[in-house]
Amino acid sequence: MAAAPPSDRSARIADLLAQVALGDQRAFAELYRLTSSHLYAVAVRIVREGAAAEEILQEAYVSVWHHAGTYVAARSQPLTWLTSIVRNRCLDQLRRREIDTVTMTRDDDDEPAFDLPSDGPTPVELLLRGAEASAVRDCVDGLDAGPRQAIALAFFQGLSHGELAAQMREPLGTVKSWVRRGLERLKRCLDSAGHAR
Amino acid sequence: MNLSRPDRADRLDRLAAEYALGTMPPRARARMARAARGDPQVAGVVHEWEARLSPLAAALPGIAPPPRVWARLAARLGLDGAGAGAMAGAPAAGWWSRLAFWRALTAAGFAAVLALGIALYAARPVAEPPLFAVLAGADGKPALIASAKRDERFLLVKTVGAPPADPGKALELWMLPQGQPPRSLGVLPAGALVRVPLTAPSGVALAEIPALAVSLEPAGGSPTGQPTGPVLYSGRIERMY
Repeated sequence: MAAAPPSDRSARIADLLAQVALGDQRAFAELYRLTSSHLYAVAVRIVREGAAAEEILQEAYVSVWHHAGTYVAARSQPLTWLTSIVRNRCLDQLRRREIDTVTMTRDDDDEPAFDLPSDGPTPVELLLRGAEASAVRDCVDGLDAGPRQAIALAFFQGLSHGELAAQMREPLGTVKSWVRRGLERLKRCLDSAGHAR
Repeated sequence: MNLSRPDRADRLDRLAAEYALGTMPPRARARMARAARGDPQVAGVVHEWEARLSPLAAALPGIAPPPRVWARLAARLGLDGAGAGAMAGAPAAGWWSRLAFWRALTAAGFAAVLALGIALYAARPVAEPPLFAVLAGADGKPALIASAKRDERFLLVKTVGAPPADPGKALELWMLPQGQPPRSLGVLPAGALVRVPLTAPSGVALAEIPALAVSLEPAGGSPTGQPTGPVLYSGRIERMY
C-alpha cells in the first residue's frame, strides 16, 4: 500500500490535519502557511484568474477545516489529498462554465473560440520537473510526445478533450486516444515501479 | 451505470483516470462525482488515480495567495485570536503579490509560447506544410495572423494587433479570389486565437486564393454577402510548399 516513506513535510502536514480535525486553530493556521502557496499555484494555473483562484482556495480550506477528519493517512499523502480538493473544485468550476456556454456549439469538431494558455513554464516542462521530484520520471519519459503533451495540458491547465484537440490542432479522436493510452501506460509503469497506491 | 461489477473494473479504472486528470465532459464528471460519493469502491479507484497524478504538481512554483484570503477565511470560520492572528507576520498585499501572480502567468512570455509551440510541433508525427497570411491595416502593422496546415479544414486566426470590434459590429473574414468578388469565410469569433472553419482542407479551399481581407460589418456579418463596411486588414497568402 504505502509507497516511499513520507517526507518530514508530509508527516508534518498529516499531523496538522489530525490536529485540525480536533478544531485546533493554530494547527489550521500553520497548515495554511505550509500549503497555501502550492495550492494557490495549482488553482491559478487551472482557472487563470486571481479572483476565482482565491475563491476556490478559500472554499477548499473551509472544507479542510470541516472535513480534516476524513483524511485517511494510510490512503494518500496529505498533499495529494489537499491538491485533489483544490483541483476538483477548479475543474468543477471550469466544466460548469463549459455547460453554460456549450449550447453554442453543435459538436466537438466545431470548437468555440479559445484563448492561448498562460505563459510561464510549459505544461510539459512542469510534467517532467514534477516527474523528477516524485521519482516517476522514467514513467513520464516513457510516454510518446503526443500523449505526454495532452496529459500535461490537461493536468496543469484543466483542458477538456475538446480544448485539447483545439489547442494541439489534432482531431478529437486522436487526442482522446492519446489521453487514454497515456494514462494506461502511466498506470502500468507507476504501479510496477511501486509508486502510487 | 453500475460501476462496481467486476466486469466493469477496466471501465471504472478508465473513467476514474479521466476524472482525476480532469478531461471528462461536464455531465459525465458530475455522474462520476456522485458515484464516488455513494460507492467506496469507486471512491477508492478515484483516490488511487489522484495519488498517481498529483505528485506531478510538485514542480509547480508556489504562489503566495494575497493575505486577504486568510483574512476572509478566518472571518468566515469565526477563528478567534489564536488562529486568526497567526498570519500577522504574513507580508502585506500589494504590488508585489500582484506582480508574483502576473509573473507566474505571463512572465516567460515569448520564450514559453515558443517552447510550447516547439513541443506541439514536435508532437506531430507528420508536419503538413502550412500556409499563412499576415493581415495588416493601412498603417502596415500586423493585425491578424491566419494559418492552416494543408490538410486542415480550418484557419487558425490569431489577433496580434487588431482591437476587438465595437458592440453591434463584427469583423468578417473574406477570401479575395483573382478577378472575382470576395467570398466570405464568416464572422471572426471573439478571442485571441480562434478557428474559422473551411469547407475543404485548406490546401484545396484556398488553392486559388491569393489573399485574405477583413472588413467591418454589422453584428452577424454582412447582410448582402459582399463587404459593406471598410476593409480594415488584408494580406497575401504565403504557402510553405
